[in-house]
Amino acid sequence: MNFEVISPKTTPELLNAIYDNQTENFRIGAGFTDLINQFKTQETEGLILINLTQLKDDNFKLIIENKTNFQIGALTTASEIIDNKSIKENFPVLYQAASKLASTQIRNVATVGGNICNVSPSGDMTAALIALKATCHIIDCDGNERKELLSSFIRGLKKTSLTKKEIIKNITIPKNAGQNLKSGFEKVGSRKSMEISIVSLAYHLQLTNDGIITHAGVACGAVAPTIPFTTSACEFLIEKNINTISENDKEEFAIKVLEYANPISDIRASDWYRKEVLFNVSKTIFGK
Amino acid sequence: MIITFKINGEIKTQEIKSSLLLIDLIRDVLRLKGTKPGCLEGECGACSVIVNGAAINSCMYLAINVDGKEVTTIEGLGNNENPLHQVQEKMLENGAVQCGFCTSGMVMTTKAYSDKCIAEGITPTREEVKKSLEGNLCRCTGYAKIIDAAEAVYKK
Amino acid sequence: MLLRQFIKNSSNPPLTPPKEGKLPPFGRVGVGQTSNFKTMKKELNIIGKSHQKLDGKERVSGKAVYGHDIELPNMLHGSILRAKYPCAEIISIDTSKALTLEGVECIITANDVDVNNIGYKRDHPILKKGTVNCNRDEIAAVAAQTKEIADKAIQLIEVKYKIKEGVYDPFEALKETAPRINEFGKGAEQFGNKNVAEYFHYEHGNLAEQKAKSKVIVKKRYELPRVTHACMATSNITAEFNNFDGRLTLWSSTQVPFLYQRDIAHALKMEPSKIRVIQPIIGGGFGSKLDMHPFEPICVLLAKKSGKPVQILYSREEEFLASPTRQPMVIDLTTGCDENGKFTFREVEIIKDNGAYTSWGATTPFVMMQSYSSLYQVPACKFDSHAVYTNNPFAGSFRGYGNPQATFSIESNIDLMAEELGMDKREIRLINANYKGEITGQGLHFKTCGAIPALKTVIEKSNYDKIMAAPNTGRYKRGVGLGSMLHVGGGAKIYRSDGCGTTLKLDDYGYLTIVTGSNEIGQGSETVLAMIAMEELGIPKEKIKVINTDTDVKPWDVGVHASRTSFVAGNSLLGAIKLIKEKLNNKASQLLNVKTNEWEYKDGSMLFNGQEIKLDKVAREMHFASPHELCTVNYFYEPPSRFQDKDFKGDVSGNYAFASQAIEVEVDTVTGNVQVLNVHVSQDVGRVLNPIGLQGQMEGGLATGIGYALTEEMIYEKGILKNPSFHGYKMLTSTDMPDVHFYPIETYDEAGPYGSKGAGEAPLIPTAAAIANAVSNALGVRFYSLPITAEKVLRALSEKKLETRNSKQETNKI
Repeated sequence: MNFEVISPKTTPELLNAIYDNQTENFRIGAGFTDLINQFKTQETEGLILINLTQLKDDNFKLIIENKTNFQIGALTTASEIIDNKSIKENFPVLYQAASKLASTQIRNVATVGGNICNVSPSGDMTAALIALKATCHIIDCDGNERKELLSSFIRGLKKTSLTKKEIIKNITIPKNAGQNLKSGFEKVGSRKSMEISIVSLAYHLQLTNDGIITHAGVACGAVAPTIPFTTSACEFLIEKNINTISENDKEEFAIKVLEYANPISDIRASDWYRKEVLFNVSKTIFGK
Repeated sequence: MIITFKINGEIKTQEIKSSLLLIDLIRDVLRLKGTKPGCLEGECGACSVIVNGAAINSCMYLAINVDGKEVTTIEGLGNNENPLHQVQEKMLENGAVQCGFCTSGMVMTTKAYSDKCIAEGITPTREEVKKSLEGNLCRCTGYAKIIDAAEAVYKK
Repeated sequence: MLLRQFIKNSSNPPLTPPKEGKLPPFGRVGVGQTSNFKTMKKELNIIGKSHQKLDGKERVSGKAVYGHDIELPNMLHGSILRAKYPCAEIISIDTSKALTLEGVECIITANDVDVNNIGYKRDHPILKKGTVNCNRDEIAAVAAQTKEIADKAIQLIEVKYKIKEGVYDPFEALKETAPRINEFGKGAEQFGNKNVAEYFHYEHGNLAEQKAKSKVIVKKRYELPRVTHACMATSNITAEFNNFDGRLTLWSSTQVPFLYQRDIAHALKMEPSKIRVIQPIIGGGFGSKLDMHPFEPICVLLAKKSGKPVQILYSREEEFLASPTRQPMVIDLTTGCDENGKFTFREVEIIKDNGAYTSWGATTPFVMMQSYSSLYQVPACKFDSHAVYTNNPFAGSFRGYGNPQATFSIESNIDLMAEELGMDKREIRLINANYKGEITGQGLHFKTCGAIPALKTVIEKSNYDKIMAAPNTGRYKRGVGLGSMLHVGGGAKIYRSDGCGTTLKLDDYGYLTIVTGSNEIGQGSETVLAMIAMEELGIPKEKIKVINTDTDVKPWDVGVHASRTSFVAGNSLLGAIKLIKEKLNNKASQLLNVKTNEWEYKDGSMLFNGQEIKLDKVAREMHFASPHELCTVNYFYEPPSRFQDKDFKGDVSGNYAFASQAIEVEVDTVTGNVQVLNVHVSQDVGRVLNPIGLQGQMEGGLATGIGYALTEEMIYEKGILKNPSFHGYKMLTSTDMPDVHFYPIETYDEAGPYGSKGAGEAPLIPTAAAIANAVSNALGVRFYSLPITAEKVLRALSEKKLETRNSKQETNKI
């Protein structure tokens, strides 16, 4: 490996670095848990790395509770997500996704922004954030800002709407309407740790005191080029009572989730398995 | 590029290539060979070191990012009076070491986790101890004795 | 009581072992007779109690020096160019661009070197020319000032290939129309087929008669995957050639240094004694370092050509691509039993994927046939095994040496026979299990045998009845399965000598140096040797040094394999101790003017009848007073085992180890994942020497065995490995490891040191078998191939309506 590194300490320095290198071949890195492995297998001569590890800006780094949402800095690590009590209470799906990510050593450096921008169909935190209807807050080196729903920010396999001028600053998750939740992250792999999801299912259901589903967010990972938000499956759940939901309804929900799956076969699993297990897992999220 | 950092308690200023990895700084530049290269792709944890209190894979970490930080490697545990840290003592007592190639990483991960548990006043369960070691592969021991050793650290 | 508890409340083992069939109230089950074990004392203070690893402090503090840590002055780094295609003709190799790269010191190809073929069949060129036969094939090698430069230079070497259609299925390779894969193979002359690399045949008893007697006959095909050792330290070597006197020094992680010295010498046309093999600390062996591999002589060739020391370190990817594997194979097993469940015969045909070249792995049928012939009583057995060349990478030896594969097929067939007969799966095993005194059809003599006690122990401890009786509905289904094994416990006579030498030196200060031929590869052999010396000579651990890493210094030994080290090196040390005691006894008697040979050795002193003299004093008197001699002795131990005859009959090992496992699993019917909940393992270890070390061997072996059963597989497509990383190759992690309950059986075998038997390989041998049986028990579906992946499970479940667990009908075959 042989590349140049720019390590901005402030946001203006960061934006300048992006601005100055528009005609260069540059990459932006934070936790480097994927990027370093990519660099090892490619020619890095002439490459410029904009290194975010030394950036000091709370907008990029902190988890902040606002009036209507939670703001998570793009440089928040998976470990910081896990250690945050609000996240654990309000968004179990995200807490679980972060906990099931790789290992302590990886979680200590891997960032939310990195997980999103790596644009892997099996990105665990990304799947959780999609289920949570998260929004990306993006800035560019000309000083513009924009927001985009994460589910539309991701445009395809390894593709986002991010231009060469832009970078994600943080992500916001709308607050829950109430306190009754059925929220979790199912990760399917061949061993219990150090897995990339063969299939994942992120679900975040908000309930009335009686168990009526009022809001539903369900996303599935590793079964399509992108991580789909399963809109029709979610709509199907609204007004259903989680305590009395019938086996037929569970099955219908699972069928609707499956409509979003268009998996590939690879060495880890066949497309058949991915669909079968997604269907099976979808039926189990209601408990009992 | 010049970086200044603390390693095993000693402040060092070092000129390095900007793309240098931390493991190469540790093993090749500083010649601290106790940190082991097991896979160099973040999968086995043999190269784990502690940076500002957190265990990380030194094979996936840019050396320039330890600028201003504190790094502890296996050589930084123990001192003249007590050559072995408690974590290391427990590993030996519990038979957690066979070939030993994963041991440095196991020790560093356990040290970081035990420091965190002490700071938070937590005594982890056996399942939590197992999870704390999930990023460290071992082919000799089947982990059982390593988990025993790590548990013994918390039980005191 | 489990061994874990035993370790904590360790007390002296019983002097008189209990009678067979009666379980003592604690975990160590003693069986059989006592007798006068070699130099065994009346009361043991050290043996049987847990001792920390001898050099554990170095290993736990990062101070131990592994091959990766060696740096020599002016040392260069080597890198190897491997074939781009698994089957091709090399048209040309152009190294000119690579040579111009700054920092490159030399490049070698097959055209530059004068060498012999290597491998068990001498069918393996170190560097390839003409054809390449697998994706590991070494085409060229570079030595450069840094590893980065060497790797870059490799990419600059231009090789033109003519790509050929390879043969990746051994059954295809056996067809007449198949091309000849290895040009050095002698299959056509020796075995009647050009692509057969090795063939083994064994038989005993009257097969036709036994078939006629059979009420039930089960015939099944089993398919076993390619898995690898995945040592935590990648392969490595450092070579320094001294061209003044033609001497070569190798820092190598071989586990068989004396055979390796001879192999290197043969490969490079050198005199063996000019080669000094030094073993740095070895980061895992498990059989992978039994063969010498091409990268090792290649490193020497680079060192010779450059005139500088050269080091080759594999990357993890290269380790997966180019280090050995367990043999993949297809086993057709037919077995029978009579109406009472007594086994009648076993007939087995095996096709092994040998890969492109032949390694020690081709000889695994030697071990496999023992399991078919002698694990349980079998009146008739016929065994045929062909190792067949393909364009896949070649296999090597791996802990268990064919036995996990054989045992998987045997134990699965036993379950199937029991089901067909309507017999209890415990009962069928117990009535057929071997016993003390048996001489099997193959001539193995079980002078002690813990087979039945081991089986009874795991059945009792595993709550077998309770699990079987529990309702098994809902998402998670539980099951329990049994598996047993037989393995050599006292070495294996396959080489002209299966022995080990020991030199002892007691210095003027009372420190003992044990120079042993045996090797430490992490398994704890040094510790056991030190314990034996502590026990016998009363010298504290701090005053014992074990020297075992240098062929210029240490006496001969075959190497680490066949679970032999504690047995062979332990006996060798006991023999040497007997000699040094004679010397010390004579001198002490002379010094204190007493007539006795009954000296007691304790706390660094010799005691007799109220008299006491320090060991160091005796050694000094021997040294400094007339007639001035050193307190040193040499001893060579050769086990009582015998070569088998040309029909593979004969008592091949000093003793035999037996073990049973009862494994409880839980299958998630939603995902298909199998989780191992509990492993109950009982093993006839002869006698427990170092409880904590023994338990570590059990747990480690089991982890590898569970991986073999459930998750590990090297996935090849047309000779190309698709998962060469820890990410793609699924070894168990800490969170996957179940609780292990270990119950050692002590049979006090006369041949072993203190009655012990080899133990290291056994724990992974019956594991996959027991897990497969447990999964079948949980689901009513049987799996005939490994690993039992979640996908296989889910596919089976989707294709089959679940039946009750006690169903006798096998309705599905995977």
